Amino acid sequence: MTLHTRSTLVTFGAAAMIPTVQALAFFVEIGPLVAGLLMAGRVGSGIGAVLANMRATEQIDGIESLSIDSFKFLVVPRVVAAVVALPLLTLFMDFAGLLGGFLSEFTSSKISFALYIRRAFENLELANFVAPTAKTAVFGFIIGTVSAYFGYTTNRGSEGVGYAATSSVVVSSLLIILADVFLVKFIFFVFPETAL
Amino acid sequence: MSTEAGAVTFQHVFKAFGPKQVLRDVSFQVQPGETLCILGRSGTGKSVTLKLLMALLKPDQGSIRVEQDDITCLNEKGLSKVRRKMGFLFQDAALFDSLTLYENLALPLRRLTEKTEEEINFAIDKVLGNVGLGGDKEKMPAALSGGMRKRAGLARALVLEPKILLADEPSSGLDRITASEIDELLLRQKAEYGTTILVVTHDIHGARRVGDRFAVFDKGDLVAFGEVGEIERSENETARRLVSEE
Repeated sequence: MTLHTRSTLVTFGAAAMIPTVQALAFFVEIGPLVAGLLMAGRVGSGIGAVLANMRATEQIDGIESLSIDSFKFLVVPRVVAAVVALPLLTLFMDFAGLLGGFLSEFTSSKISFALYIRRAFENLELANFVAPTAKTAVFGFIIGTVSAYFGYTTNRGSEGVGYAATSSVVVSSLLIILADVFLVKFIFFVFPETAL
Repeated sequence: MSTEAGAVTFQHVFKAFGPKQVLRDVSFQVQPGETLCILGRSGTGKSVTLKLLMALLKPDQGSIRVEQDDITCLNEKGLSKVRRKMGFLFQDAALFDSLTLYENLALPLRRLTEKTEEEINFAIDKVLGNVGLGGDKEKMPAALSGGMRKRAGLARALVLEPKILLADEPSSGLDRITASEIDELLLRQKAEYGTTILVVTHDIHGARRVGDRFAVFDKGDLVAFGEVGEIERSENETARRLVSEE
């Protein structure tokens, strides 16, 4: 991000804005969306494959046969975990991105870390990153429910494991991008001051 | 068929998967403490019969009673109560592969009973000891051999002390000696606890050892039902051939 924007901002004499641009881009859009897509790839495929494998090997029937509600036992914790974990991972992603931006900028301009952080946050309001980070809970819900659906409902044996993993990633990713459009509009509606 | 409540009663049960009719007008009754062996060629609805009984599948028509309860009319809460009376040994054991053998057995005890950890330990040690796996409780399912997995599956099916045990091909894929050990465990369970047992099997030697009566399925129909002598005198050739030891 920094590598791409630096030359343009320097041309217009706005090199000092690089940390701000970096922070805004990461906290508002790149961090939440990329974290969501990465989690859809890594965790979504995992949930889909594990549950489909449990279905194919009768482990889910085994749970039902023990009078345990397999939906509550297998699906609900995974969905809750995805909803809780994704905002935390997004924060990690945001700060990792910011750190990467600093390292890139440091090699070019030798800017100090304290100055970089001060410039990064001086134009950032709390609402700029609370709402976009909170929206990833919706992404987490999408990943959890979509992946669990494909894994839990498969009836294609071992072939269904691959199908569930692939479908979980593809459908989750598409729904995350679609949901992002609506959530950005919704955030602008509820917090108009966050519009850049 | 007797009108008294047996341990298990199927009445005019039909089940189809798409265009394939798997069970057609199946009726039979199993008495408490009895062992019924279900025989038949592959794909004739034997395993489906057990899954219908455990309410893992729903029949298209007919009623299935477990003692007094018609499970086709029960909601999830009612089904859960009925399932507590039954244990299911799956064909491939269906152990949870992310849990150790101990945790596999502890799971239903922790979730469904009020037992303390000490009581759970005691119950697990007892049931694992009974199936000869006392020293293997910390192993993962992937580390168990085929025979050990079957015995572990049986231990999990028995850990809640069910009144009815359903076993889906308990000896498939096992050598004669290991299969015979599984049969011994079923016989001991019946003798010591009076458990009603329904066994789906292709092993006629084992079936003759453990079975009191036999149900023979062919192409979705229950073609013969009774003691081994009755099946041997059946008019149905498939039934006669299936119980033949030759």
